[in-house]
Amino acid sequence: MAAPGRMRCMYIFNRNGVCLHYHVWYRPLTTLSPQQDQKLMFGLLFSLRSFTVKMDPTSNNKGHLGVPQLPGQGCSFHAFTTNTYKLSLLETPSGIKIVLVTDPGMGDLREALRYIYSNIYVEYVIKNPLYVPGEHFRCELFNAALDQYVKTLK
Amino acid sequence: MAAPTGEREVAESCVEWVSMEMVEAYCRRLHPTKPELAGRRIEAIGYQVGLQLAERYTKERPRFTDHLEAIKFICKDFWVEIFKKQVDNLKTNHRGVFVLQDNQFRWLTHISLDSPLYNGDRVTLETSLSNNAVMAARAAGQYLYFPCGLIRGALTNLGVPCDVSAEVANLPACSFIIRIKA
Repeated sequence: MAAPGRMRCMYIFNRNGVCLHYHVWYRPLTTLSPQQDQKLMFGLLFSLRSFTVKMDPTSNNKGHLGVPQLPGQGCSFHAFTTNTYKLSLLETPSGIKIVLVTDPGMGDLREALRYIYSNIYVEYVIKNPLYVPGEHFRCELFNAALDQYVKTLK
Repeated sequence: MAAPTGEREVAESCVEWVSMEMVEAYCRRLHPTKPELAGRRIEAIGYQVGLQLAERYTKERPRFTDHLEAIKFICKDFWVEIFKKQVDNLKTNHRGVFVLQDNQFRWLTHISLDSPLYNGDRVTLETSLSNNAVMAARAAGQYLYFPCGLIRGALTNLGVPCDVSAEVANLPACSFIIRIKA
């Protein structure tokens, strides 16, 4: 079955590693339970981040490997591509990490991620009075707006 | 920050978050066991604000000739200033009761509940979706105390003493019922 569209899945984490949202469009193979999968993803982002800071050739200020970096401090990676998928990351100063897994042909998704954060996440989750910050959410308006926006991405 | 015309503006996000926090504070922290009291307090705040806003928005206009003119002002200019659109529908029974209907009430557009998990059963999915809609409509009622107060304050200051209540049928549509006191 051909993949509908180019999106595979999306994760949203907060600064404590809690997975606030997991959205899946097309994921034929999952080998782990959702909790393990999300923990693994967060661990990967954390390690990749401290690794990129350590390897940065332009800055002298290198923390020790494994020390958590404040969001915005040091350099931050924004995407990696394999032969089967591309993973893009946006980390906001408030510690929210948005991870988008797409097919490898996708271009630079930084603008799209920024749009998703400011026009979809902030509008329909942060401004939703029924949402308790720090908890997992599945808000209907957020899901609808996200699906609609993602259809426009090529 | 001054706009070019000399008017001062406030970010709309601030207004939205303050009104969310007002409901949170009154309904959950200060009076968790007395929802009517919390509602009356919030409505009283809205009343004061509505009084002042009516003064501000009718500065250059002549006095209103009758109740209907004042209500039409609320539906058009007042609503446009606060919610950037006009009221969609105005009904009256010609005996002092008016119903203002807004099909896309600005302060309710961001409310939604978690979508139910789909475990393969279409029927339970549909019933939980409609349950969600009912629960969301009920929860949204708390966020309408302040707008009710706004309308009551504005009308009272324009010479139309009244009582205002609100109903939510389907988010984000809601209606405000104005009962004019004889």
